[in-house]
Amino acid sequence: MEASSSSAGPAPPPPNIPPSGDRTVWADASQLVAAACADLQDGELVHGENFSLFAAMSALEIMDPKMDSGIERSGYYSIEEAIEDGIAPVPLSLDRTLDIQRTLDVIDHLFSCEATWHKGHTLAQTVFTCIYLMKMERISSHAVLNSFCRILRATCNAVVAVVSTARTHEEEDLFTMSFGLPLKDEGDDKCLSVLNSVEETVSRQLRACKSHALSKRKTLEGLESLQDNPDVEEGYCRALLCRLRFRKHFHHVVTCLRRPHGRGLDLARKHVASCLSELSLMLKSQEFLKSQSNITLQQGDESCTTASGCRPFGFDVSLNSRLMSAAPPRAVKILTWSDALGYFEKLLRDLDVICSLSLDPVLENVLHFIAQFQKSVPDLVPRAFLQTLLVQDGKLYGRDLFCDVISRALSLPDIIGDKEFQMNEFVVQLGQLVINLLKILCTNTAWQRRKLGKSLQDWSTISIQLELALKREFGETRNVLDHENMCMRVSKQLLVWTQEQTYWVASRFLILGFELDLYSPSEYCMVYWYMHVVFIKLIEKMQLRILASNENGSARRKGKKKKDHSKDSARDAAFSSSCLLLQCYVLLSEGLSMLLAVLRNEGKSFLLPTIFNTEQERFLQHFDLLQKARIPEHITYYSFKESAAQAHMADVMKYNFFKEIQKIIPSLKGSFASEPEKLAELRQIEQVAEHNRIALNIINSVGVGDPSLRVSFEFTHHPHFAVAVVKRS
Amino acid sequence: MSAAVMPAAAPTERVESSSGEAEIAYVSYGGEQHLPLVMSLVDAELSEPYSIFTYRYFVYLWPQLTFLIHRKAFDAKEGKCVGTVVCKMGEHRGAFRGYIAMLVVLKAYRGRGIATELVTRSIRVMMESGCEEVTLEAEVTNKGALALYGRLGFIRAKRLYRYYLNGVDAFRLKLLFPRLDLGLPPMMMGDERDDQLIDSPYL
Repeated sequence: MEASSSSAGPAPPPPNIPPSGDRTVWADASQLVAAACADLQDGELVHGENFSLFAAMSALEIMDPKMDSGIERSGYYSIEEAIEDGIAPVPLSLDRTLDIQRTLDVIDHLFSCEATWHKGHTLAQTVFTCIYLMKMERISSHAVLNSFCRILRATCNAVVAVVSTARTHEEEDLFTMSFGLPLKDEGDDKCLSVLNSVEETVSRQLRACKSHALSKRKTLEGLESLQDNPDVEEGYCRALLCRLRFRKHFHHVVTCLRRPHGRGLDLARKHVASCLSELSLMLKSQEFLKSQSNITLQQGDESCTTASGCRPFGFDVSLNSRLMSAAPPRAVKILTWSDALGYFEKLLRDLDVICSLSLDPVLENVLHFIAQFQKSVPDLVPRAFLQTLLVQDGKLYGRDLFCDVISRALSLPDIIGDKEFQMNEFVVQLGQLVINLLKILCTNTAWQRRKLGKSLQDWSTISIQLELALKREFGETRNVLDHENMCMRVSKQLLVWTQEQTYWVASRFLILGFELDLYSPSEYCMVYWYMHVVFIKLIEKMQLRILASNENGSARRKGKKKKDHSKDSARDAAFSSSCLLLQCYVLLSEGLSMLLAVLRNEGKSFLLPTIFNTEQERFLQHFDLLQKARIPEHITYYSFKESAAQAHMADVMKYNFFKEIQKIIPSLKGSFASEPEKLAELRQIEQVAEHNRIALNIINSVGVGDPSLRVSFEFTHHPHFAVAVVKRS
Repeated sequence: MSAAVMPAAAPTERVESSSGEAEIAYVSYGGEQHLPLVMSLVDAELSEPYSIFTYRYFVYLWPQLTFLIHRKAFDAKEGKCVGTVVCKMGEHRGAFRGYIAMLVVLKAYRGRGIATELVTRSIRVMMESGCEEVTLEAEVTNKGALALYGRLGFIRAKRLYRYYLNGVDAFRLKLLFPRLDLGLPPMMMGDERDDQLIDSPYL
């Protein structure tokens, strides 16, 4: 700008700029621009009326370490420069013992990096901080490192593909960003055979070591040995072998889990078991590796990213930091090697649960499976695997059409494959909702709750449309006649089933609020109140569905054999125990809400008077999505307020909800005898009921209005149902 | 349009602290001279980095929602800024909504209700300006902030997974102001309730 203003006289416009016309004329604005520049102080900005927060937040201040990812840290401008400086030598040492030692450190650090990546960081800042991996052509002569890096890269690539396919990682999108890193190579499909041949060599060497040890001969057949010291050869062979085998089996796990229609699950499970046993061998090898390492090079225990405790060669954390320069730097702390072991163990246990999936086409069981799976708080990778397994090509397990899944849920096996049913617009829409539901249930619980809340409106809309269509087509006949036509029966059952799903989603939405810590103690009363209303409606819809399916059954049963009768009654028993379990939830929610209401009414606690709003606004905010979707109808803040206001200690004692639960549990234990996770749930419920029953008695005997009474609520026995803790001050 | 400097006519209100050892003054944002004070406080105390444009975005568009707190000791140098609140308000999905962007009180001055007072002042202005609700995000680990906003009537509406650059989750907190036309009067609900088929002693 300065330069142009110093030129004398108006310069002719450049050729590609249109000449002055009748109404426009070119003028030199250099001085104006210069003056404006001088007027702007450091940090000021020329902006328009619509300057948005997003625009402001998108600005990064260069050279501010909190914002500038590209700020110079290591001094290396390129990988080549780092290599020239000798930070990633090949071989890692000319001393063969040191070379294998350092190779194992690289392998271990990569393992820690991989776990850190899975935990939500970028590949660029974790696995690909490894210079050997970035420049694989340099290590083609280093058989061990080459085979290891090749299979690691192929596995990373496959895992990225699974997570990308699942597309349920909206808040975890750092995971799949590969920034053009060398994630793929032509030779990678041969990674297994490359690894197998190295593994074969090392295991032969290990066998040789053992037989030498037995015959007390201490010489090594030079060509196949890992290093030159015969005393430690066996230890290094063992340490390397379990690491290579872990990689091999883990690669198999990923490949098997990706097979269509869940066909690889059994094989995947075997490889998961092998991975776990190799992990324990890796842990065992730590003692040997520590004993061999140079103590002075060791890192502090809290930051050890290798089994030996040595800092690895060949990594530079800042090499890829410039790739991230469009965003402020995120703190990346590579997990320690023992934390990484812990991560992989958890990952494999979660994958093992997925492998145990029976590919059951009954939707209710699938939903239960996912909810149970989510209880262990699985990370992104296993959740993505589950989701891609459940929904493939728009079908359940890539196998069952969702319209058939729905007809099965309606206990209408006769219409499976029925074209008219499949083409019905409601069935098509509901199929899409079920697909979305399955995908949502595989996301992290924070995101899941938000998505479930939004989907409630869709479920409710379909219910209303179905109800209207039913009225329009068949009038308001309430009595179900034997000869009613199939179409009407199907429509009615579809409606009841849709409502049941709606309440199931609503109940999950509400209970996830506890897992995410969204409710404060002063809100528990209204939350449990709403939960008990939703659970009651869920039971009601479930019973209606069972009733309707029994009617179908009795119609079908006429021509059936005795054997089928017992099959039906077993199914009915399963339904009734599901209802009884829900009944326990109703009683727990009701009991807790009423107890809290009494503490509010008679003990003046758990109330939160605030200056800006009232409880009504807090109720509206918590249940806004349910209220908008009319789940259920006619429920407002006033319904809650009235119920809560009428709660008295005498009623709570009279209805003794917690004691009622204890009456139900024994029979349920019998029904769920073969389902360990349901038995565990029953035990938790039993604990909550027992503790609350005792707490209630104490509160009653002390007197709820006693000023020395201190009641608090804790989630020590169940994640969603609190236990009252009574103290006296 | 270049960034203009705000007129520096800031009302200051002095409050005698109960112990009387120092004077505390709540000050409305008064112009460019206050910007470095706000920036240095936030930069030092909050984990997220903000560019100068972000600060300017807030304090230039909504200077009436930004407050500072000065401590004026009798002996030491004047004008030490010990806390600040920075906010905005505007349309959001069909609602007029206030947003608390930054709230900082230096550690040594916490526990005296200063933060509550700062936030309360901003919220009052938002309420008087016609906001229907106020929102903000807080780290799930920030117990002090969560308790403070809870006492003011905020609910934890959502949890935002790994919201902050440091990897910590956030809660989205919301405060809904009362509306006169909200819901049906209780008398009408009594009748509807009888229609329900729910069999429960509690309903």
